Formats: sequence, structure tokens, C-alpha cells
Amino acid sequence: MSGLIDRLQPPSESDFHAPAHHEKVTARLGVWLGIAFLLCFATGLLSHAIQKPPSWFVWPAEPVNLYRITQGVHVLSGIAAIPLLLAKLWSVYPRLFARPLVRSLPHALERLSILVLSGAAFFQLATGLFNTTQNYPWSFYFLAAHYAVAWLAAGSVLLHVAIKLTVIRRGLTRLTPGPDMSRRRFLRTTYLATGVAVVATAGATVPLLRDVSPLSWRSGRGQQGLPVNRTARAAGVTWDPTWRLEITGPHGTTHLSLADLDALPQRTADLPIACVEGWSQSATWTGVPVAELLRLAGADQHRPVLVTSLERKGAYRTSVLPATHTASTLLALRLGGERLALDHGFPCRIIAPSRPGVLQTKWVQRLEVL
Amino acid sequence: MIRALLALSGLALLAYGTVLAWEFATSRTVNAVQGTAWFIGGPLLHDGIVAPLVGLTGLLLTRVTPTPWRTPVLTGMALSGMLALLAIPFLWRPFGTGANPGLHDRNYGAALTIALSAVWLAVATAGLTRQIRSARSARTE
Repeated sequence: MSGLIDRLQPPSESDFHAPAHHEKVTARLGVWLGIAFLLCFATGLLSHAIQKPPSWFVWPAEPVNLYRITQGVHVLSGIAAIPLLLAKLWSVYPRLFARPLVRSLPHALERLSILVLSGAAFFQLATGLFNTTQNYPWSFYFLAAHYAVAWLAAGSVLLHVAIKLTVIRRGLTRLTPGPDMSRRRFLRTTYLATGVAVVATAGATVPLLRDVSPLSWRSGRGQQGLPVNRTARAAGVTWDPTWRLEITGPHGTTHLSLADLDALPQRTADLPIACVEGWSQSATWTGVPVAELLRLAGADQHRPVLVTSLERKGAYRTSVLPATHTASTLLALRLGGERLALDHGFPCRIIAPSRPGVLQTKWVQRLEVL
Repeated sequence: MIRALLALSGLALLAYGTVLAWEFATSRTVNAVQGTAWFIGGPLLHDGIVAPLVGLTGLLLTRVTPTPWRTPVLTGMALSGMLALLAIPFLWRPFGTGANPGLHDRNYGAALTIALSAVWLAVATAGLTRQIRSARSARTE
């Protein structure tokens, strides 16, 4: 690369001499980046399936922290992929200047597939990172875009591995003393940057790192010690003392006031809120088991329930609580022993184990046995 | 065999992704325009601006930094760049949602400054250690 400065003209592939550009480095970074992408893709598909379940899909209610872990892995593997991708691209950067630009039709297709791979990878990591902080410098619907491009990213990774299999196998041979030492140094710096990136953000979901991560999007400043993803004000919800919970089931429709709910048998459980944006936190909730309300409505306690919020609009105004979850779900009235704050869903909210936070419907107005 | 299997499944996933992306892009004009810009923007920004700048900075630093300090300084630069990159969505928020209690409501400028200070403290420690060590070995020779 030093010849470039003397000549002041675009570089050619042979101008790059740094150890980072060796195929042994590329192959190793590729393996780690591939693992990060695979984890990210698998956990992303899982989260998508939980939110828009196909008929064959069943998601268990136990262990209660399962979604918290899978979504934490999703976000943290995405963050780990950022330094890995940048290092990997730097490793192969000289190839960008290979001439002739296109040698043959297969070569043209290969270069095109790499453009798709690079575009999809940057798209996923950039939109995902911005989404974790609820920052949207675009006007399209994040979820649809992130989902579609995930398939492009996964497909182009597989195709890339297929094309490069011989080089990968050759590149993964052992690092030996000599020139490989400076290659190892570049790899170590990359792994260090990856570790730093993960530790700098993981406090959003890992309790142990809560006070360590400087760039965690979850702070300790939420009401009653828990973050609020959508305030009552943003949802347009105010408290109306004439509020009654409406339960529709085989016995017809029942109306319950807050005092009625308080008088029903209560259960206390430690359950996490785990947001799709990657933050999570466990809390102690007290409320009426949904199974108890189903019994009141004359329904079997293993029926799915349609939950409707007081919110007038919004993509998450309603949610369906699947039959697998009703037995262990609470209609929570209290958080940490105190009455729920309005921002946490007062008078009552759904708290189900191992489900995305957006499905833990707040300000519940109606439960309908399906 | 493995190769063909990988290639075929890759093409199948790409085909499905293309269908989804096509549906996404054709449903609204803004999806097509902004979606394409964000898709192409990454490689363009990286290959055209970020990578050459980072490469030249690295080259320059390699030339001006005394040998014992080279690895610590380059590592410090890489970590600083990484932290600064991750801090962008916290610090640049003209399109962010309003503050939600308990979410992205810390002082991230201060947090980044502290993190960078820790990195450069480590760089200084590593650099000094190496400098002293190399001076000592030069004296014994």
C-alpha cells in the first residue's frame, strides 16, 4: 500500500502488502463472521416466527428466560459481526482493485454475489444497530426490510462459502512462526475489538454487565426500575375509573372492575421482559393467573386468548396468547409489590414467560377466548 | 457434493429474499428508493471512503509511531473507531423516538469519553511497558 502514496493514483491489487490481506487471515475471520451471521439469522427467524407464528410453529413457555437468551444472542451476535465484517472486508480489500474488472460470465456473477453479500451485510448490521436504540433515519418499515434482507444475506453467505470452499480450506491451515505472527496480531486485534464491542453494549441484556457497558441502551432509570418501551402518553392512554376488564368466553361476557380483580386469587412470579430490541430485565410481578380468568369465563385453561389494549392504534394493540402459554401467564396488577405505573400498563397487563416484549400487551381492556 | 448443496441452498434463500425484497420495494415508492439507497450505501461508503481513509491513517501511524508504541497505538485506534461507530445511533438522533424512561436516556457522550479514556490509558500503559523493556534490552546488549 505504500507505493500508493508516492504515485498518487488508484492502487492495484499488488500494492497491498500488509499481513491482514493474507488468505489465512481472511479464512479465519470468515469462519467467525459466518458463525455470527448464522446465530443472528437463526435467532432472528425464531423471533419472527414467535411474532407471526405459522400454523406448525410451537414455542414453549419453559424455560421462562428462553426468548430473553435467543434475542440477546440475536442482537449481540449482530454487534459482534460489525468489527468482524470490517476486518474481513479490509482483509479482502485489495481484491476490489483486481483487474480486469470482469474476466468471464461466472466471474461477473461472483462479483455481483459479493456486492449483494456486502450490501445485505451492511444493511442488516446498520438498520439493526439503529433499531436497538429506537433511531430510524429512514421512512420504510424496519421489520419488513430487515426480514427480507436477512434472506438475501443468508443466501449470499452460503453461495459465497460454496464458491470459496477451496480457498477457505487452504486458508485454514495452521498459523506457523514467521510471517504468520503479524497475521496473528491482526486477528488478535480484531477479536479484541469484537470483545470490546460486545462488552460495551451487552449490559442491555446481561445483568452482570449492567454497570459496565457504556453503550447499553437500557439504563436503570425506568419507572419502578424497569424500562418503558411505549409510554401511556405515546399510546394515548389515560386512566378512566369506569374501566372494566371485559372477558368473552363460552359463558358470555363478564366485566370485572379493578377491585374485582384484586379480590381474585393472586400469584407472584419472577418473569423477564425481553424486548425485540435486545434489552431484557427480570421483575417480580403479581396478578391474576390468566388460567383463573379463563375458568371464570367457562373456558378450558389451555385455550388461546386474544388480548386487546386500550391503545387506539399501533401495530401491537392486540396480541394472541397461544394455548401453550395461558397456564403460566399473569394478568399483572403489581410490579415489585407496588401498583403498576400507568406507563407499565396500569390497570393491568399481560406478562407471559419467554415472549417478545411487544406481545406483553399493556392497558388490557378485553380478553377473548378463541 | 457439499459445494453443490451449499450453492443450491444459497440460491434458494437468495430467490426467496429477492421475492420478499421485490414485494417490499414495490409496495411503496419510499421503500424502493430508501431501501436501495441503504443497501448500496453500505458498500459505497465503506469501499469508497471509510476503507481508504482507515488504511491511509493506519499506514501513516505505522510510519510515525516508534516501534514499541506501534501495536498499542494501532490497537487503540481500532478500538476507538469501533466504540465511536457503536455510539453513532446514541449521539446522532434527529430521527430517534423521544426518550422512553429507562431506554437510551443516559449521557452517552460522557459514557463514550470514559470508554475511550480507558482504552487510551491501556494504550499508554502497554506503550510505556514496551518502551522501557526495549530500552532495557538495548542496554544489556
